[in-house]
Amino acid sequence: MAKKENDLLLHKSERKPWMRKKDMIGWLIMLPSIILFLFFVWEPLLESVRLSMYTAKGFRLDTFVGLDNYKRLFQYPVFLKALGNTFVYIFWSLVLGFFTPMVLAVLITETMHLKGFFKMGVYFPNIVPGLATVLMWRYLFGEGKSGVFNIMLSGLGIKPVVWFNNPMLTIPLIVIIMTWRAAGSTTLIYIANISSIDPALYEAATIDGAGILKRIRYITVPSVFSLAKTLLIIQIISVFQILYEPLVLKQGGPNNASVSMMMLVWNYANREMNYPMAAATSVVICVILIILSAVYFKVTKSKEN
Amino acid sequence: MFFEKYKKKTDGTIRFYDLHSTRTKILCVFIFILCLLAVVIALFPPIWVFLASFRSIKDFVKTPRIWPEKFDFKLFAKTWNDLKFFKYYINSMIVMAGSVVCSVVFNGILAYGLAILRPKGHKIIFSLVMLSMLIPATTSMVALFVNITNLGLSHSYIPLWLQIGANAFYVILFKQFFEGLPKDLIEAAKLDGCGYLQTFSKIIMPLSKSIVMVIIIFTINAVWSDFLLPYLILNNSGKETVMVKLYMFQGGTATAVDILRAVLYSILPPIALFVIFQKQITDSAATGALKG
Repeated sequence: MAKKENDLLLHKSERKPWMRKKDMIGWLIMLPSIILFLFFVWEPLLESVRLSMYTAKGFRLDTFVGLDNYKRLFQYPVFLKALGNTFVYIFWSLVLGFFTPMVLAVLITETMHLKGFFKMGVYFPNIVPGLATVLMWRYLFGEGKSGVFNIMLSGLGIKPVVWFNNPMLTIPLIVIIMTWRAAGSTTLIYIANISSIDPALYEAATIDGAGILKRIRYITVPSVFSLAKTLLIIQIISVFQILYEPLVLKQGGPNNASVSMMMLVWNYANREMNYPMAAATSVVICVILIILSAVYFKVTKSKEN
Repeated sequence: MFFEKYKKKTDGTIRFYDLHSTRTKILCVFIFILCLLAVVIALFPPIWVFLASFRSIKDFVKTPRIWPEKFDFKLFAKTWNDLKFFKYYINSMIVMAGSVVCSVVFNGILAYGLAILRPKGHKIIFSLVMLSMLIPATTSMVALFVNITNLGLSHSYIPLWLQIGANAFYVILFKQFFEGLPKDLIEAAKLDGCGYLQTFSKIIMPLSKSIVMVIIIFTINAVWSDFLLPYLILNNSGKETVMVKLYMFQGGTATAVDILRAVLYSILPPIALFVIFQKQITDSAATGALKG
Protein backbone atom coordinates (compact mmCIF):
# COMPACT_ATOMS: atom_id res chain seq x y z
CA MET A 1 0.00 0.00 0.00
CA ALA A 2 2.66 2.46 1.05
CA LYS A 3 4.77 1.52 -1.92
CA LYS A 4 1.95 2.26 -4.31
CA GLU A 5 1.37 5.70 -2.79
CA ASN A 6 5.04 6.38 -3.02
CA ASP A 7 4.96 5.45 -6.71
CA LEU A 8 2.09 7.79 -7.35
CA LEU A 9 3.87 10.63 -5.59
CA LEU A 10 6.99 10.05 -7.60
CA HIS A 11 4.96 10.08 -10.75
CA LYS A 12 3.35 13.37 -9.87
CA SER A 13 6.58 15.13 -9.02
CA GLU A 14 8.12 13.88 -12.25
CA ARG A 15 5.28 14.90 -14.47
CA LYS A 16 5.90 18.62 -14.76
CA PRO A 17 9.50 18.79 -16.02
CA TRP A 18 8.85 15.73 -18.20
CA MET A 19 5.92 17.50 -19.86
CA ARG A 20 8.07 20.49 -20.63
CA LYS A 21 10.71 18.33 -22.22
CA LYS A 22 8.03 16.54 -24.18
CA ASP A 23 6.65 19.87 -25.44
CA MET A 24 10.08 20.98 -26.53
CA ILE A 25 10.77 17.74 -28.39
CA GLY A 26 7.34 17.95 -30.01
CA TRP A 27 8.08 21.43 -31.33
CA LEU A 28 11.56 20.38 -32.45
CA ILE A 29 10.12 17.47 -34.41
CA MET A 30 7.55 19.71 -36.10
CA LEU A 31 10.06 22.49 -36.75
CA PRO A 32 11.28 21.45 -40.24
CA SER A 33 7.71 21.17 -41.53
CA ILE A 34 6.76 24.47 -39.89
CA ILE A 35 9.69 26.16 -41.62
CA LEU A 36 8.46 24.79 -44.95
CA PHE A 37 4.96 26.13 -44.28
CA LEU A 38 6.46 29.48 -43.32
CA PHE A 39 8.53 29.72 -46.46
CA PHE A 40 6.08 28.33 -49.01
CA VAL A 41 2.68 29.31 -47.63
CA TRP A 42 2.47 31.84 -44.81
CA GLU A 43 5.29 34.26 -45.54
CA PRO A 44 4.45 34.67 -49.28
CA LEU A 45 0.93 35.76 -48.32
CA LEU A 46 2.32 38.65 -46.25
CA GLU A 47 5.14 39.22 -48.70
CA SER A 48 2.67 39.85 -51.53
CA VAL A 49 1.10 42.63 -49.47
CA ARG A 50 4.53 44.20 -48.88
CA LEU A 51 5.60 43.70 -52.50
CA SER A 52 2.40 45.34 -53.75
CA MET A 53 3.35 48.61 -52.04
CA TYR A 54 6.68 49.06 -53.79
CA THR A 55 7.98 49.69 -57.26
CA ALA A 56 10.65 47.30 -58.44
CA LYS A 57 13.32 46.87 -61.04
CA GLY A 58 13.10 43.18 -61.85
CA PHE A 59 13.42 41.34 -58.56
CA ARG A 60 14.88 44.29 -56.65
CA LEU A 61 12.47 46.47 -54.67
CA ASP A 62 12.85 50.15 -55.50
CA THR A 63 10.73 52.72 -53.63
CA PHE A 64 7.78 52.55 -51.30
CA VAL A 65 4.68 53.89 -53.05
CA GLY A 66 1.92 52.96 -50.62
CA LEU A 67 -1.34 52.16 -52.33
CA ASP A 68 -0.39 53.66 -55.70
CA ASN A 69 -0.19 50.24 -57.37
CA TYR A 70 -3.77 49.55 -56.29
CA LYS A 71 -4.90 52.92 -57.64
CA ARG A 72 -3.27 52.13 -60.95
CA LEU A 73 -4.84 48.70 -60.97
CA PHE A 74 -8.36 49.98 -60.39
CA GLN A 75 -7.93 52.49 -63.23
CA TYR A 76 -6.59 49.83 -65.60
CA PRO A 77 -9.40 49.04 -68.08
CA VAL A 78 -8.28 45.40 -68.51
CA PHE A 79 -8.57 44.88 -64.74
CA LEU A 80 -12.14 46.15 -64.77
CA LYS A 81 -12.83 43.91 -67.73
CA ALA A 82 -11.33 40.91 -65.86
CA LEU A 83 -13.40 41.71 -62.77
CA GLY A 84 -16.52 41.88 -64.91
CA ASN A 85 -15.59 38.67 -66.69
CA THR A 86 -15.31 36.91 -63.34
CA PHE A 87 -19.03 37.46 -62.85
CA VAL A 88 -19.74 36.16 -66.35
CA TYR A 89 -17.62 33.08 -65.51
CA ILE A 90 -19.54 32.62 -62.27
CA PHE A 91 -22.87 32.94 -64.08
CA TRP A 92 -22.02 30.29 -66.65
CA SER A 93 -20.40 27.99 -64.14
CA LEU A 94 -23.65 28.11 -62.15
CA VAL A 95 -25.77 27.43 -65.23
CA LEU A 96 -23.57 24.66 -66.65
CA GLY A 97 -21.32 23.43 -63.89
CA PHE A 98 -23.46 23.46 -60.77
CA PHE A 99 -26.34 21.21 -61.80
CA THR A 100 -24.45 18.78 -64.02
CA PRO A 101 -22.86 16.80 -61.15
CA MET A 102 -26.14 16.70 -59.25
CA VAL A 103 -28.02 15.31 -62.26
CA LEU A 104 -25.23 12.82 -63.00
CA ALA A 105 -25.26 11.65 -59.37
CA VAL A 106 -29.03 11.05 -59.42
CA LEU A 107 -28.78 9.18 -62.72
CA ILE A 108 -25.92 6.93 -61.58
CA THR A 109 -27.62 6.18 -58.25
CA GLU A 110 -30.76 5.07 -60.09
CA THR A 111 -29.06 2.49 -62.29
CA MET A 112 -28.24 -1.03 -61.23
CA HIS A 113 -26.06 -1.92 -64.18
CA LEU A 114 -22.38 -0.99 -64.70
CA LYS A 115 -22.55 1.34 -61.70
CA GLY A 116 -18.84 1.00 -60.92
CA PHE A 117 -17.97 1.61 -64.56
CA PHE A 118 -20.13 4.75 -64.68
CA LYS A 119 -18.48 6.12 -61.54
CA MET A 120 -14.99 5.48 -62.89
CA GLY A 121 -15.99 6.85 -66.28
CA VAL A 122 -17.32 10.19 -65.09
CA TYR A 123 -14.39 10.57 -62.70
CA PHE A 124 -11.83 9.83 -65.39
CA PRO A 125 -11.46 13.43 -66.78
CA ASN A 126 -10.33 14.56 -63.30
CA ILE A 127 -7.00 12.82 -63.69
CA VAL A 128 -6.22 14.50 -67.00
CA PRO A 129 -3.80 17.38 -66.24
CA GLY A 130 -5.41 20.82 -66.56
CA LEU A 131 -3.06 22.07 -69.25
CA ALA A 132 -3.46 18.92 -71.35
CA THR A 133 -7.25 19.24 -71.01
CA VAL A 134 -7.24 22.74 -72.44
CA LEU A 135 -4.94 21.86 -75.36
CA MET A 136 -7.11 18.86 -76.15
CA TRP A 137 -10.32 20.89 -76.23
CA ARG A 138 -8.70 23.65 -78.25
CA TYR A 139 -8.42 21.20 -81.14
CA LEU A 140 -11.79 19.59 -80.47
CA PHE A 141 -13.30 23.03 -81.00
CA GLY A 142 -11.20 23.52 -84.12
CA GLU A 143 -12.40 26.22 -86.48
CA GLY A 144 -13.18 25.47 -90.11
CA LYS A 145 -14.76 22.30 -91.38
CA SER A 146 -12.16 19.87 -90.02
CA GLY A 147 -12.80 20.68 -86.32
CA VAL A 148 -14.45 17.75 -84.56
CA PHE A 149 -17.55 19.60 -83.40
CA ASN A 150 -17.91 21.25 -86.79
CA ILE A 151 -17.83 17.78 -88.38
CA MET A 152 -20.67 16.77 -86.05
CA LEU A 153 -22.62 19.96 -86.79
CA SER A 154 -22.20 19.47 -90.53
CA GLY A 155 -23.90 16.09 -90.05
CA LEU A 156 -26.90 18.12 -88.87
CA GLY A 157 -26.49 20.50 -91.81
CA ILE A 158 -25.14 23.39 -89.73
CA LYS A 159 -22.33 25.57 -91.08
CA PRO A 160 -18.90 25.57 -89.31
CA VAL A 161 -18.76 27.72 -86.16
CA VAL A 162 -15.71 29.81 -85.16
CA TRP A 163 -16.10 28.77 -81.46
CA PHE A 164 -13.56 30.63 -79.33
CA ASN A 165 -13.22 33.47 -81.83
CA ASN A 166 -16.79 34.47 -81.12
CA PRO A 167 -16.52 36.64 -77.98
CA MET A 168 -20.05 35.66 -76.96
CA LEU A 169 -19.07 31.97 -76.93
CA THR A 170 -15.59 32.12 -75.39
CA ILE A 171 -16.56 32.08 -71.70
CA PRO A 172 -19.39 29.52 -71.97
CA LEU A 173 -17.07 27.20 -73.91
CA ILE A 174 -14.34 27.59 -71.28
CA VAL A 175 -16.90 26.73 -68.60
CA ILE A 176 -17.91 23.63 -70.61
CA ILE A 177 -14.26 22.53 -70.62
CA MET A 178 -13.96 23.15 -66.88
CA THR A 179 -17.18 21.25 -66.23
CA TRP A 180 -15.99 18.31 -68.33
CA ARG A 181 -12.89 18.05 -66.19
CA ALA A 182 -14.29 18.80 -62.73
CA ALA A 183 -17.84 17.41 -62.68
CA GLY A 184 -16.78 13.82 -61.97
CA SER A 185 -15.31 14.33 -58.52
CA THR A 186 -18.29 16.42 -57.41
CA THR A 187 -20.58 13.70 -58.79
CA LEU A 188 -18.90 11.10 -56.56
CA ILE A 189 -19.43 13.32 -53.52
CA TYR A 190 -23.13 13.70 -54.34
CA ILE A 191 -23.47 9.94 -54.93
CA ALA A 192 -22.01 9.23 -51.49
CA ASN A 193 -24.40 11.80 -50.04
CA ILE A 194 -27.48 10.39 -51.81
CA SER A 195 -26.67 6.80 -50.78
CA SER A 196 -26.58 7.88 -47.15
CA ILE A 197 -30.23 9.01 -47.26
CA ASP A 198 -32.39 6.77 -45.07
CA PRO A 199 -34.28 4.34 -47.42
CA ALA A 200 -37.24 4.37 -45.03
CA LEU A 201 -37.94 7.95 -46.13
CA TYR A 202 -38.49 6.83 -49.71
CA GLU A 203 -40.61 3.89 -48.64
CA ALA A 204 -42.79 6.09 -46.45
CA ALA A 205 -43.22 8.53 -49.33
CA THR A 206 -44.19 5.69 -51.65
CA ILE A 207 -46.86 4.48 -49.22
CA ASP A 208 -48.17 8.04 -49.18
CA GLY A 209 -48.48 7.76 -52.94
CA ALA A 210 -45.55 9.88 -54.10
CA GLY A 211 -44.32 9.06 -57.60
CA ILE A 212 -40.65 8.86 -58.59
CA LEU A 213 -40.28 12.50 -59.59
CA LYS A 214 -42.02 13.66 -56.41
CA ARG A 215 -39.71 11.49 -54.32
CA ILE A 216 -36.68 13.07 -55.99
CA ARG A 217 -38.14 16.53 -55.55
CA TYR A 218 -39.12 16.17 -51.89
CA ILE A 219 -36.51 13.74 -50.52
CA THR A 220 -33.35 13.65 -52.64
CA VAL A 221 -33.10 17.35 -53.45
CA PRO A 222 -33.60 18.66 -49.87
CA SER A 223 -31.11 16.08 -48.57
CA VAL A 224 -28.31 17.20 -50.88
CA PHE A 225 -29.20 20.88 -50.51
CA SER A 226 -26.81 21.72 -47.66
CA LEU A 227 -23.99 19.88 -49.40
CA ALA A 228 -24.83 21.74 -52.59
CA LYS A 229 -24.56 25.09 -50.78
CA THR A 230 -21.04 24.19 -49.63
CA LEU A 231 -19.98 22.95 -53.05
CA LEU A 232 -21.41 26.06 -54.65
CA ILE A 233 -19.09 28.32 -52.67
CA ILE A 234 -16.10 26.08 -53.32
CA GLN A 235 -16.97 26.30 -57.02
CA ILE A 236 -17.19 30.09 -56.97
CA ILE A 237 -13.81 30.27 -55.20
CA SER A 238 -12.29 28.09 -57.94
CA VAL A 239 -13.63 30.45 -60.62
CA PHE A 240 -11.31 33.16 -59.27
CA GLN A 241 -8.34 30.95 -60.08
CA ILE A 242 -9.14 30.38 -63.74
CA LEU A 243 -5.89 30.72 -65.64
CA TYR A 244 -4.99 27.88 -67.99
CA GLU A 245 -8.12 28.02 -70.11
CA PRO A 246 -8.08 31.66 -71.28
CA LEU A 247 -4.27 31.67 -71.37
CA VAL A 248 -3.88 28.66 -73.65
CA LEU A 249 -6.96 29.17 -75.77
CA LYS A 250 -6.86 32.80 -76.82
CA GLN A 251 -4.45 34.60 -74.44
CA GLY A 252 -7.51 36.09 -72.78
CA GLY A 253 -8.97 37.18 -76.09
CA PRO A 254 -10.63 37.69 -78.44
CA ASN A 255 -10.23 41.34 -77.46
CA ASN A 256 -10.02 40.51 -73.71
CA ALA A 257 -13.40 38.77 -73.85
CA SER A 258 -12.17 35.91 -71.65
CA VAL A 259 -9.43 37.59 -69.62
CA SER A 260 -9.51 36.43 -65.98
CA MET A 261 -8.06 37.90 -62.79
CA MET A 262 -5.34 35.27 -62.54
CA MET A 263 -4.41 35.93 -66.16
CA LEU A 264 -3.69 39.55 -65.23
CA VAL A 265 -1.31 38.28 -62.54
CA TRP A 266 0.31 36.05 -65.16
CA ASN A 267 0.67 38.91 -67.64
CA TYR A 268 2.16 41.29 -65.08
CA ALA A 269 4.62 38.67 -63.84
CA ASN A 270 5.63 36.98 -67.09
CA ARG A 271 5.22 39.56 -69.82
CA GLU A 272 5.95 42.85 -68.08
CA MET A 273 8.12 41.46 -65.24
CA ASN A 274 6.20 43.91 -63.06
CA TYR A 275 6.09 41.89 -59.85
CA PRO A 276 4.61 44.61 -57.60
CA MET A 277 1.59 45.00 -59.88
CA ALA A 278 1.26 41.21 -60.09
CA ALA A 279 1.35 41.08 -56.29
CA ALA A 280 -1.25 43.87 -56.01
CA THR A 281 -3.61 41.92 -58.28
CA SER A 282 -3.01 38.77 -56.20
CA VAL A 283 -3.85 40.66 -53.02
CA VAL A 284 -7.13 41.88 -54.51
CA ILE A 285 -8.05 38.28 -55.46
CA CYS A 286 -7.02 37.16 -51.98
CA VAL A 287 -9.23 39.74 -50.26
CA ILE A 288 -12.23 38.69 -52.36
CA LEU A 289 -11.54 35.03 -51.54
CA ILE A 290 -11.24 35.74 -47.81
CA ILE A 291 -14.62 37.47 -47.90
CA LEU A 292 -16.12 34.50 -49.78
CA SER A 293 -14.53 32.07 -47.31
CA ALA A 294 -16.10 34.01 -44.44
CA VAL A 295 -19.47 33.62 -46.15
CA TYR A 296 -18.70 29.93 -46.64
CA PHE A 297 -18.06 29.50 -42.93
CA LYS A 298 -21.23 31.32 -42.02
CA VAL A 299 -23.18 29.03 -44.32
CA THR A 300 -21.62 25.82 -42.98
CA LYS A 301 -22.04 27.04 -39.39
CA SER A 302 -25.72 27.73 -39.88
CA LYS A 303 -25.99 24.29 -41.47
CA GLU A 304 -24.67 22.69 -38.29
CA ASN A 305 -27.16 24.60 -36.17
CA MET B 1 -33.19 -9.80 -67.19
CA PHE B 2 -32.45 -6.07 -67.17
CA PHE B 3 -34.87 -5.38 -64.34
CA GLU B 4 -34.03 -8.42 -62.16
CA LYS B 5 -31.14 -6.54 -60.56
CA TYR B 6 -33.47 -3.81 -59.27
CA LYS B 7 -34.70 -6.29 -56.64
CA LYS B 8 -31.47 -5.60 -54.76
CA LYS B 9 -31.76 -1.83 -55.04
CA THR B 10 -31.83 -0.13 -51.63
CA ASP B 11 -30.55 3.39 -52.27
CA GLY B 12 -31.92 6.18 -54.43
CA THR B 13 -35.52 6.67 -55.42
CA ILE B 14 -36.60 3.85 -57.71
CA ARG B 15 -37.43 0.51 -56.06
CA PHE B 16 -38.30 -2.85 -57.57
CA TYR B 17 -41.97 -2.36 -56.72
CA ASP B 18 -42.03 0.73 -58.95
CA LEU B 19 -41.25 -1.42 -61.96
CA HIS B 20 -44.82 -2.67 -62.29
CA SER B 21 -45.55 0.25 -64.55
CA THR B 22 -44.18 0.28 -68.08
CA ARG B 23 -43.40 3.98 -67.77
CA THR B 24 -40.95 3.34 -64.94
CA LYS B 25 -39.37 0.52 -66.93
CA ILE B 26 -38.82 2.89 -69.86
CA LEU B 27 -37.46 5.48 -67.44
CA CYS B 28 -34.91 2.98 -66.09
CA VAL B 29 -33.68 2.12 -69.57
CA PHE B 30 -33.55 5.83 -70.42
CA ILE B 31 -31.48 6.59 -67.28
CA PHE B 32 -29.11 3.77 -68.22
CA ILE B 33 -28.68 5.23 -71.71
CA LEU B 34 -28.03 8.71 -70.27
CA CYS B 35 -25.33 7.27 -68.00
CA LEU B 36 -23.71 5.58 -71.00
CA LEU B 37 -23.85 8.90 -72.85
CA ALA B 38 -22.18 10.71 -69.93
CA VAL B 39 -19.33 8.21 -69.91
CA VAL B 40 -18.96 8.53 -73.69
CA ILE B 41 -18.66 12.33 -73.30
CA ALA B 42 -16.12 11.83 -70.50
CA LEU B 43 -13.98 9.40 -72.47
CA PHE B 44 -14.35 10.78 -76.00
CA PRO B 45 -11.81 13.67 -75.93
CA PRO B 46 -8.77 11.56 -74.89
CA ILE B 47 -9.80 8.82 -77.33
CA TRP B 48 -10.07 11.39 -80.09
CA VAL B 49 -6.58 12.68 -79.25
CA PHE B 50 -5.32 9.12 -79.65
CA LEU B 51 -7.05 8.75 -83.03
CA ALA B 52 -5.95 12.18 -84.29
CA SER B 53 -2.36 11.37 -83.37
CA PHE B 54 -2.23 8.89 -86.26
CA ARG B 55 -2.97 11.57 -88.85
CA SER B 56 -0.59 13.73 -90.82
CA ILE B 57 -0.87 17.49 -90.35
CA LYS B 58 -2.08 17.93 -93.95
CA ASP B 59 -4.85 15.39 -93.44
CA PHE B 60 -5.68 16.91 -90.04
CA VAL B 61 -6.14 20.44 -91.39
CA LYS B 62 -7.80 19.65 -94.71
CA THR B 63 -10.00 16.58 -94.27
CA PRO B 64 -13.02 16.60 -92.01
CA ARG B 65 -12.85 13.14 -90.45
CA ILE B 66 -12.38 11.54 -87.06
CA TRP B 67 -11.16 8.03 -87.87
CA PRO B 68 -7.56 8.01 -89.20
CA GLU B 69 -6.68 6.49 -92.58
CA LYS B 70 -4.17 4.06 -91.15
CA PHE B 71 -2.67 3.26 -87.75
CA ASP B 72 1.02 4.01 -88.11
CA PHE B 73 2.82 3.91 -84.77
CA LYS B 74 6.00 5.24 -86.38
CA LEU B 75 4.52 8.76 -86.19
CA PHE B 76 4.42 8.45 -82.40
CA ALA B 77 8.08 7.49 -82.21
CA LYS B 78 9.01 10.33 -84.59
CA THR B 79 7.30 13.03 -82.51
CA TRP B 80 8.66 11.48 -79.31
CA ASN B 81 12.20 11.82 -80.69
CA ASP B 82 11.70 15.17 -82.46
CA LEU B 83 10.35 16.85 -79.35
CA LYS B 84 12.94 15.09 -77.13
CA PHE B 85 10.13 13.95 -74.89
CA PHE B 86 12.26 11.40 -73.08
CA LYS B 87 14.25 14.19 -71.44
CA TYR B 88 11.12 15.90 -70.12
CA TYR B 89 9.76 12.60 -68.81
CA ILE B 90 13.01 12.13 -66.89
CA ASN B 91 12.81 15.70 -65.54
CA SER B 92 9.24 15.12 -64.38
CA MET B 93 10.30 11.84 -62.77
CA ILE B 94 13.08 13.63 -60.86
CA VAL B 95 10.62 16.25 -59.57
CA MET B 96 8.18 13.50 -58.70
CA ALA B 97 10.65 11.29 -56.80
CA GLY B 98 11.85 14.12 -54.54
CA SER B 99 8.30 15.43 -54.07
CA VAL B 100 6.93 12.05 -52.97
CA VAL B 101 9.62 11.76 -50.28
CA CYS B 102 9.11 15.34 -49.06
CA SER B 103 5.34 15.05 -49.19
CA VAL B 104 5.19 11.93 -47.01
CA VAL B 105 7.97 12.91 -44.58
CA PHE B 106 7.24 16.59 -43.90
CA ASN B 107 3.44 16.47 -43.98
CA GLY B 108 3.50 13.19 -42.03
CA ILE B 109 5.82 14.54 -39.33
CA LEU B 110 3.77 17.70 -38.86
CA ALA B 111 0.59 15.62 -38.58
CA TYR B 112 2.39 13.34 -36.07
CA GLY B 113 3.17 16.41 -33.97
CA LEU B 114 -0.39 17.74 -34.24
CA ALA B 115 -2.21 14.45 -33.71
CA ILE B 116 -0.05 12.51 -31.26
CA LEU B 117 2.72 14.56 -29.62
CA ARG B 118 0.44 17.58 -29.22
CA PRO B 119 3.00 19.89 -27.56
CA LYS B 120 1.65 22.94 -25.74
CA GLY B 121 0.41 25.50 -28.27
CA HIS B 122 0.14 23.08 -31.19
CA LYS B 123 -3.38 24.37 -31.85
CA ILE B 124 -1.93 27.62 -33.23
CA ILE B 125 -0.10 25.68 -35.93
CA PHE B 126 -3.21 23.68 -36.67
CA SER B 127 -5.33 26.82 -37.15
CA LEU B 128 -2.68 28.32 -39.41
CA VAL B 129 -2.66 25.12 -41.50
CA MET B 130 -6.46 25.20 -41.75
CA LEU B 131 -6.35 28.86 -42.70
CA SER B 132 -3.94 28.23 -45.55
CA MET B 133 -6.36 25.70 -46.96
CA LEU B 134 -8.87 28.47 -47.64
CA ILE B 135 -6.53 30.64 -49.63
CA PRO B 136 -5.36 29.01 -52.84
CA ALA B 137 -1.59 28.85 -53.26
CA THR B 138 -1.83 30.47 -56.69
CA THR B 139 -2.55 33.87 -55.13
CA SER B 140 0.81 34.02 -53.36
CA MET B 141 2.75 32.49 -56.24
CA VAL B 142 4.36 35.75 -57.36
CA ALA B 143 5.77 36.58 -53.92
CA LEU B 144 6.99 33.01 -53.50
CA PHE B 145 8.70 33.14 -56.87
CA VAL B 146 10.41 36.45 -56.02
CA ASN B 147 11.61 34.92 -52.71
CA ILE B 148 12.92 31.81 -54.43
CA THR B 149 14.77 33.87 -57.04
CA ASN B 150 16.30 36.14 -54.40
CA LEU B 151 17.60 33.04 -52.60
CA GLY B 152 19.24 31.96 -55.86
CA LEU B 153 17.12 28.82 -56.03
CA SER B 154 15.51 29.37 -59.43
CA HIS B 155 16.43 26.86 -62.14
CA SER B 156 16.65 24.25 -59.39
CA TYR B 157 14.45 21.30 -58.40
CA ILE B 158 14.90 21.95 -54.68
CA PRO B 159 12.01 24.43 -54.20
CA LEU B 160 9.67 22.14 -56.15
CA TRP B 161 10.56 19.17 -53.95
CA LEU B 162 10.20 21.09 -50.71
CA GLN B 163 7.07 22.96 -51.73
CA ILE B 164 4.85 19.88 -51.58
CA GLY B 165 6.14 19.21 -48.05
CA ALA B 166 3.93 22.12 -46.96
CA ASN B 167 0.53 20.95 -48.13
CA ALA B 168 -2.32 21.68 -45.73
CA PHE B 169 -4.65 19.12 -47.29
CA TYR B 170 -2.16 16.26 -46.89
CA VAL B 171 -1.42 17.30 -43.29
CA ILE B 172 -5.13 17.11 -42.47
CA LEU B 173 -5.50 13.71 -44.16
CA PHE B 174 -2.53 12.35 -42.19
CA LYS B 175 -3.74 13.92 -38.95
CA GLN B 176 -7.20 12.39 -39.23
CA PHE B 177 -5.69 8.98 -39.88
CA PHE B 178 -3.17 9.18 -37.02
CA GLU B 179 -5.91 10.20 -34.59
CA GLY B 180 -7.71 6.95 -35.40
CA LEU B 181 -4.68 4.76 -34.59
CA PRO B 182 -4.87 2.65 -31.40
CA LYS B 183 -3.35 4.66 -28.53
CA ASP B 184 -2.11 1.51 -26.72
CA LEU B 185 0.40 0.74 -29.44
CA ILE B 186 1.94 4.19 -29.19
CA GLU B 187 2.03 3.96 -25.38
CA ALA B 188 3.60 0.51 -25.61
CA ALA B 189 6.29 1.86 -27.92
CA LYS B 190 7.06 4.57 -25.38
CA LEU B 191 7.39 1.98 -22.60
CA ASP B 192 9.69 -0.10 -24.79
CA GLY B 193 11.99 2.90 -24.90
CA CYS B 194 11.22 4.01 -28.44
CA GLY B 195 12.27 7.62 -29.07
CA TYR B 196 9.80 10.07 -30.59
CA LEU B 197 11.19 9.81 -34.08
CA GLN B 198 11.52 6.05 -33.78
CA THR B 199 7.87 5.79 -32.76
CA PHE B 200 7.04 7.67 -35.94
CA SER B 201 9.18 5.61 -38.29
CA LYS B 202 8.83 2.17 -36.67
CA ILE B 203 5.28 2.22 -35.28
CA ILE B 204 3.14 4.93 -36.90
CA MET B 205 4.32 4.71 -40.50
CA PRO B 206 3.98 0.91 -40.84
CA LEU B 207 0.45 1.19 -39.41
CA SER B 208 -0.44 3.95 -41.88
CA LYS B 209 0.37 2.25 -45.17
CA SER B 210 -3.08 2.90 -46.61
CA ILE B 211 -3.01 6.67 -46.05
CA VAL B 212 0.63 6.89 -47.18
CA MET B 213 -0.48 5.19 -50.40
CA VAL B 214 -3.26 7.75 -50.90
CA ILE B 215 -0.87 10.65 -50.26
CA ILE B 216 1.69 9.19 -52.70
CA ILE B 217 -0.96 8.82 -55.43
CA PHE B 218 -2.25 12.36 -54.80
CA THR B 219 1.30 13.74 -54.83
CA ILE B 220 2.28 11.98 -58.05
CA ASN B 221 -0.85 13.23 -59.79
CA ALA B 222 -0.47 16.78 -58.45
CA VAL B 223 3.22 17.02 -59.33
CA TRP B 224 2.76 15.59 -62.79
CA SER B 225 -0.02 18.09 -63.58
CA ASP B 226 1.56 21.08 -61.86
CA PHE B 227 2.45 23.87 -64.22
CA LEU B 228 2.57 27.32 -62.64
CA LEU B 229 5.50 27.14 -60.20
CA PRO B 230 7.51 24.69 -62.36
CA TYR B 231 7.11 27.09 -65.28
CA LEU B 232 8.26 30.12 -63.26
CA ILE B 233 11.24 28.27 -61.80
CA LEU B 234 12.36 25.92 -64.56
CA ASN B 235 11.56 27.87 -67.73
CA ASN B 236 14.65 28.02 -69.99
CA SER B 237 16.74 26.03 -67.54
CA GLY B 238 16.91 22.79 -69.52
CA LYS B 239 15.17 21.12 -66.56
CA GLU B 240 11.59 21.69 -67.79
CA THR B 241 8.95 19.17 -66.78
CA VAL B 242 6.46 17.65 -69.24
CA MET B 243 3.77 20.24 -68.43
CA VAL B 244 6.15 23.18 -68.86
CA LYS B 245 7.25 21.79 -72.21
CA LEU B 246 3.64 21.23 -73.25
CA TYR B 247 2.97 24.93 -72.74
CA MET B 248 6.14 25.95 -74.58
CA PHE B 249 5.29 23.93 -77.70
CA GLN B 250 2.73 26.56 -78.49
CA GLY B 251 4.16 29.31 -80.57
CA GLY B 252 7.03 27.02 -81.54
CA THR B 253 7.36 25.10 -84.77
CA ALA B 254 5.35 22.13 -83.52
CA THR B 255 2.26 21.38 -85.66
CA ALA B 256 -1.22 20.66 -84.34
CA VAL B 257 -0.75 16.89 -84.60
CA ASP B 258 2.63 17.14 -82.88
CA ILE B 259 0.98 18.99 -80.01
CA LEU B 260 -1.81 16.41 -79.84
CA ARG B 261 0.77 13.63 -79.64
CA ALA B 262 2.55 15.58 -76.90
CA VAL B 263 -0.81 15.86 -75.09
CA LEU B 264 -1.16 12.10 -75.42
CA TYR B 265 2.28 11.51 -73.90
CA SER B 266 1.44 13.85 -71.07
CA ILE B 267 -1.81 12.08 -70.16
CA LEU B 268 -0.59 8.47 -70.44
CA PRO B 269 1.15 8.33 -67.02
CA PRO B 270 -1.87 9.67 -65.07
CA ILE B 271 -4.13 7.27 -66.99
CA ALA B 272 -1.84 4.35 -66.09
CA LEU B 273 -1.89 5.47 -62.46
CA PHE B 274 -5.69 5.70 -62.54
CA VAL B 275 -6.11 2.26 -64.09
CA ILE B 276 -3.89 0.67 -61.44
CA PHE B 277 -5.25 2.54 -58.41
CA GLN B 278 -8.81 3.38 -59.49
CA LYS B 279 -10.34 2.18 -56.23
CA GLN B 280 -8.04 4.18 -53.95
CA ILE B 281 -8.43 7.26 -56.15
CA THR B 282 -12.23 7.27 -56.44
CA ASP B 283 -12.72 6.31 -52.77
CA SER B 284 -10.52 9.08 -51.47
CA ALA B 285 -12.02 11.52 -53.98
CA ALA B 286 -15.48 11.03 -52.51
CA THR B 287 -14.42 11.29 -48.88
CA GLY B 288 -11.44 13.60 -49.08
CA ALA B 289 -12.44 16.20 -51.61
CA LEU B 290 -14.90 17.96 -49.34
CA LYS B 291 -12.34 18.41 -46.63
CA GLY B 292 -10.11 19.98 -49.25
